[in-house]
Amino acid sequence: MRAIAQLWLLPSRQMPLLGALVHLLWLAALACLALITPHAEGAAIGAGLLAVGSWFWHLGLATTLRGACQPETFLLPAFRRRLAAFGLADAVTWVGLPALLALAIGVPHAALGGTLLLLAAAMGFAMGVERWISLLFWPLLVLAGWMPGLASAVVHNAIESPLTLPLLLLVAVLLLRLSLHPMLQITDRPPDTSPLEGLSVGRGATTDAAPRRSALGRRLEGWFDTIAQRALEQALTRYRQQPTAARRRTLVRRLLLPHDNALAILLRMAIMAVFATLYVVVALHRRPFHASVVGAYAVLIALARFPQIGRGMQRMRPNLADLYLTLAPTTRTQYQQTLADALLVLVPTGTASALAYTVLGIVLTHATQPWLMLLVTLIVATGGGLVALAVHLIGPQNAVGRQWVNAAVLTGTMAMYWAGVGLVDALGYVFGGGLLALVVLGFGLGVWFAAQREYRRREPCFDAPLT
Amino acid sequence: MTTLLSFPAQPAAPVSEPAPVLRVQGLRKAFEGRQVLCGVDWTVPAGRVIGLLGRNGAGKTTLLRCLLGLAPVDAGSIELFGAPMTEPGGERLHRVGFVPQGFDLFPWMKVRAYLDFTAAFYAHWNHALAARLLDEWQLDSKQKIGRLSQGQRQKLAIVRAIAPEPDLLVLDEPVASLDPQARRAFMGELLALMGAPGKTVIFSTHITADLERADADIALLRDGRIQFVRPLAELKSRLCHAVLSRPAGWTTPPAMPGVLKARVAGASLHLLVEDVPTERLHQLAKDEEASLRIEMPTLEDLFVELA
Repeated sequence: MRAIAQLWLLPSRQMPLLGALVHLLWLAALACLALITPHAEGAAIGAGLLAVGSWFWHLGLATTLRGACQPETFLLPAFRRRLAAFGLADAVTWVGLPALLALAIGVPHAALGGTLLLLAAAMGFAMGVERWISLLFWPLLVLAGWMPGLASAVVHNAIESPLTLPLLLLVAVLLLRLSLHPMLQITDRPPDTSPLEGLSVGRGATTDAAPRRSALGRRLEGWFDTIAQRALEQALTRYRQQPTAARRRTLVRRLLLPHDNALAILLRMAIMAVFATLYVVVALHRRPFHASVVGAYAVLIALARFPQIGRGMQRMRPNLADLYLTLAPTTRTQYQQTLADALLVLVPTGTASALAYTVLGIVLTHATQPWLMLLVTLIVATGGGLVALAVHLIGPQNAVGRQWVNAAVLTGTMAMYWAGVGLVDALGYVFGGGLLALVVLGFGLGVWFAAQREYRRREPCFDAPLT
Repeated sequence: MTTLLSFPAQPAAPVSEPAPVLRVQGLRKAFEGRQVLCGVDWTVPAGRVIGLLGRNGAGKTTLLRCLLGLAPVDAGSIELFGAPMTEPGGERLHRVGFVPQGFDLFPWMKVRAYLDFTAAFYAHWNHALAARLLDEWQLDSKQKIGRLSQGQRQKLAIVRAIAPEPDLLVLDEPVASLDPQARRAFMGELLALMGAPGKTVIFSTHITADLERADADIALLRDGRIQFVRPLAELKSRLCHAVLSRPAGWTTPPAMPGVLKARVAGASLHLLVEDVPTERLHQLAKDEEASLRIEMPTLEDLFVELA
């Protein structure tokens, strides 16, 4: 029993705010069910609150367990059995009790509601363990957006069908199987990638969780590694032939950012193109649809890379001492400048990616103003990239601070994007575009030069980060 | 020039020995085609302290992790407390403690919360021992694990492993990050705790002085196999290091039964010999017209020569 209680406490210890909020939601949902139901839409409100709370709780729970389920943890006596018992208790709390309460007070479709709650929990858990599982729901979104009438008819008929309940249960079980199987398996830990690189789409890998890759993920990683190795060897050969400052900078880039060479960028764009196509297909079939959204999304994807730099540079600090000794700079400022120069390549890389995704979006959506989208994307992605790199290089070191800074950069960039679309639309390419470039690039370059100056001024830090 | 001869087979174990804690047969393990363990056969009797020695990359960590089911194996069988160990499970885990080489679990958890979490899974947990060790080793129970130094994390991993008072304690380079005081304190605790009858310790280390202090049995892992397991005292009493020197130097070492390793360095021939009487060595020196110096090797000397 104590072990089950400890397992239940685990996510709340890691994410106390989440723990408190979702349990308040649970209480509120049960209160709605018990107190409001006879008079109003209490059941619907309660079910909604429970579904949202359950989804978030299980997402958090999965994130915690994903980090906890390392091979060493399986040495805890009866860990799997106790985990299963905890799972049962959790299902009773989030599904069984509310469903029983609903049945007792005569809420219609209580069994179906209970099954949907189980599905919400399973979805949250599965998405927390394996991020790619969220992609499985995209076809449903496409269907709902494309043919809302059909979707509505399907839902209506499903409520009446006796097959719905077992089918939903089956989906929930399948989701749990998909997420639990890799988590409970003991495998050899794959070698870590560079902390500055993130091959996953979300780039949100936590440091306490072992990198978990599917067969396709491992294959892609293998391709990226082969390309990175070749690029590094080429840079090394060129540097040996003629050791210029530019070639030295390229060499440092190949070391710090192994997956930011031309071939790897193309490969990443090809992979992202698949997801971008999916997104556009989803977005296309929603009314009203604004083609410029594609450009905004492309800029967001390009900027998603920069938070990794903040996290990665921190994690890499002990290893950077080795680089420092290898480069043997005359002054510390020179070393800091070398790093800043090496990382600057991320800005044109990000802009090129954003433009490529925008072109793809333009083709897929048959956008009516392709040049406007391209111009605004070019300016905003460059300006946003400069600001993002600047703030992640010298910004806050703690996770919360970084998230706030990141949110501010993303919000500002999006504001600039939409303002830019309006400005160019109203004033034309020359005046509108010129004004936008002046403001955005001026601000971006100003922030970047100031950050670079600050970064140069700072002493290099090689201390291991406190987790 | 170095010639390494195969180590003589161990004498047959007495029939009345208790059931072994661990029995490994034909264990094989490869990483991406690189064979690390090439058919390990190893039996660990109960009540012994075993020092697993091997050079860097010899596969000590891999072997220890395979033994506990923490890494999948390619072939072979492992029995822990008499039952197959395909993956960690069963009541026997109450009897096993493990200190990994690196401890990076739950960085967001506080020390006290982590120990509470772990203790909840064990049928027996010596709270007094855990509290005393936290106090003596100056581990702040309110500190987050992520904010502990590497050495402090290692201490925490040791506390966590020995608090359930396991019958088998497996330690993977447990003292690598500890300062000399902490290392001595740890060895003292380890010997006191595991000195009880039936308690078994397997630990890999490069600090041979600790193994000497523990009077451990030495298991040498080389070329993916356990080359030998011998009590340290027996190794020291039966092996010696003979240095034969002559101005003409040596082209090939002379053949002689009992030579485990022969190495020519300038005008000297270094022989690591087992069970060779001193008279026989003097006779050899006389036959080869060389001077003879006999040294008693330390465990570190033996490790350097044999690993």
